[in-house]
Amino acid sequence: MRKATLLALVLVLIAAVIPARAFEAPLPVDDAFVPAFDRGSGGALVITWRIADGYYLYRDYLAAQDEDGKALSLKTEPGRIKDDPGFGSTEVYYGKASAMIAGPPAKVRLTYQGCQDGGLCYPPTTRTIDVAAMTASVVGGGSFSLPVPKATANEGFRIAGGSAHTAVDRLLTDGGIGLLLAGFLGFGLLLAFTPCVFPMYPIVAAMLSREGTRLTAGRGFMLSGAYALALATAFGLLGMAAAWSGRNVQMALQSPLAIGAVAVLFIVLALSSFGLFHIQLPAALSNRFHTGSGKGGSLGGAALLGFSSAFLIGPCVTAPLAGALLYIARTGDVLIGALALFALGLGKGIPLVILSTVGGKALPRAGGWMETIRHVFGFVFLATAIWLAMPLIPERFVLLPWAVLALVFGVYAASYEGLRPTGGYGVMLRSVAFISLLWGALLFIGFSLGASDPLTPLGPLKGSVSAGAHPSVRKADFAKIESRNDLASQLQASSARNEPTLLYVTAGWCVTCRTVERSVLTDPDVAAALDGVRLTSLDVTALDPARRALMQSLDVIGPPTMIFFDAEQREASGTRLVGDITAVSLAGSAGAAKGTLQ
Amino acid sequence: MLTRRTILTATLAAAAVSAIGARPSLAQLSKKEVFFDKDAPVLGNPKGDVTVVEFFDYQCPYCKKTHPMVEKVVKADGNVRLVLKDWPIFGDVSVFAAQAVLGAAQIGKYETAMNALMKTKGKLTHEEVEKRLTGAGLPMQDIAAAVNRHNAKISGLLDRNYGQALAFNFAGTPAFVIGTAIFPGVLDEKGLKEAIATARG
Repeated sequence: MRKATLLALVLVLIAAVIPARAFEAPLPVDDAFVPAFDRGSGGALVITWRIADGYYLYRDYLAAQDEDGKALSLKTEPGRIKDDPGFGSTEVYYGKASAMIAGPPAKVRLTYQGCQDGGLCYPPTTRTIDVAAMTASVVGGGSFSLPVPKATANEGFRIAGGSAHTAVDRLLTDGGIGLLLAGFLGFGLLLAFTPCVFPMYPIVAAMLSREGTRLTAGRGFMLSGAYALALATAFGLLGMAAAWSGRNVQMALQSPLAIGAVAVLFIVLALSSFGLFHIQLPAALSNRFHTGSGKGGSLGGAALLGFSSAFLIGPCVTAPLAGALLYIARTGDVLIGALALFALGLGKGIPLVILSTVGGKALPRAGGWMETIRHVFGFVFLATAIWLAMPLIPERFVLLPWAVLALVFGVYAASYEGLRPTGGYGVMLRSVAFISLLWGALLFIGFSLGASDPLTPLGPLKGSVSAGAHPSVRKADFAKIESRNDLASQLQASSARNEPTLLYVTAGWCVTCRTVERSVLTDPDVAAALDGVRLTSLDVTALDPARRALMQSLDVIGPPTMIFFDAEQREASGTRLVGDITAVSLAGSAGAAKGTLQ
Repeated sequence: MLTRRTILTATLAAAAVSAIGARPSLAQLSKKEVFFDKDAPVLGNPKGDVTVVEFFDYQCPYCKKTHPMVEKVVKADGNVRLVLKDWPIFGDVSVFAAQAVLGAAQIGKYETAMNALMKTKGKLTHEEVEKRLTGAGLPMQDIAAAVNRHNAKISGLLDRNYGQALAFNFAGTPAFVIGTAIFPGVLDEKGLKEAIATARG
């Protein structure tokens, strides 16, 4: 959970460095102005528009007619006078507008018109309202419209106005490459405080302690600088690979094999932290450290160590990086991809360089409390390993490793003898030990009850969750899509029933998708939000030409991606989800897609 | 369950989405029809290597506000054709204004009439349009005569403009077509210059 908070913070930081673009791509008119109908006193028809931020409706252009085209009297409220030098003065509504028709006929044709402030003016929109049913029929629709693939043929046109709006694009177009790199540097700096990056600290500490008495602040700076530069270079190569190969890097980093291997590595690191054995550097590397005459050899060793550390950290941070990687893949710009991830790697190295320079001299030599710190790191590594491996562990057993870890940590903390039992720290430590033991016990009970959520281990006692109003969504509920035609016919079917459609792009190798299927789709809020939404899935485990073509025409870079179509078979704007999908974001998008129905 | 929850990707993705769809008729639209409509007046350098097409309305405040910048960029470049396509979306006054200016074009006064109306603000009335044109030295009877004489030509052009705007699925005015790229909404100076550079290849 701490991770979620941290990333929210990262996001705020990134958002802060993105200057607002002068002109956003305009919303579809039905998202800018959303009318709702209600009956007022004396059978009057009351129309209320929800107006998106930064958009306005004209009072003068609100009009209503009956079916024969005879004008109906429309009672409106005074609007705001919009009066700026380039504009002239007009009465407009921001945020909300309403109008009333007293004694309406059975069918009312309602016309309204507005603008995106500073950007674009819409043509008039006309809706026919069935007064008895309080529904409006949408004019047009029916055609199957997908975003146009970019730069497909020599003749014909492509969409450009809408495509230059990813955060990465924006950092680039507005602030140039400097701002883009600064953004990634900051992101890396924040990632440096996640458990994924913790192994770097003991590695560097070990490296510095080899220097013995030769270690000075300058030397510490040089060594850790070489380490950080090499780490950044390795990440730069990863960025280059991501830009060059598109999806494939994601695929490699997210494969169960890579995740499993890194989880095992973390376990090995943890065992070593507990002093079970010492990790011996390969002889060649070790020799570089010792025999390296003067500084050159040792710096080279530090660089080599930094470069290889990236392979440990890389797969561990893929989940938070998923979005950035996908967008780098989309731009396809090798240089920018490399530079961006180089900056990210550099950001991760900065705390290390500072620590090594400032604190290098004071680095604790082996001693009692250093031992304790190492043990605590060991537990953190174990927790990281479990967290990484969670999607790979059968659902029935996910609580087990957490239970064991919590119990073992409780036992360790309870038996720690370095503090006076009655002192302040001693009491705190004992409390921590007790809470950990209690929690571990609860997790064990939860495991035996068949629970799978570490936060509600006793959940099964509350009774079956699926007995609620909305049975939880399973992967099997999704209709399989294999080609563009499949999607078209599904969309047509849901259009006929006036329901939105969700297309979920997934793959067998995609670990993040498993997390989505296990813990996001099963969320009761998600089940409620997806009620009444047609569910379809595109499995790209085996990417045949038909699937590839569909992915391209939908502008999908890789799984997991979720796309919502409204009943008019258009993608509902602002609802696409890519990368790590949460119950909150999914329920939000589903709600927005349903909100387009009128 | 403890999951790798990040808001980052979702938000990045949300920003990336734009639901601009294409109509099937888009494929049938040729560059010749969009850039070289024989009845559409051309500004800038008629022999320019890049064409900037702008769909606009004489009552659209942002079209008028940014027009001096568009002209400035086109003039400074010196090798750009500018085609302003009337897409009257603000009712019959807009249609009237578009017809009047296209009528003036038939008697060689396109730029005078167009500039006179581009200098107005916001909303217009029939009287305001007449007053502005008369003020620019274009008597209404001359314009009316020209519109009547060339009615088929002017109506045809307006119909084609309308059809193209729908085919591009433009949300409203202004909207630009530059090279093979389309831009719904206002372009700033930097954006316009970049689009021209991109179209030039």
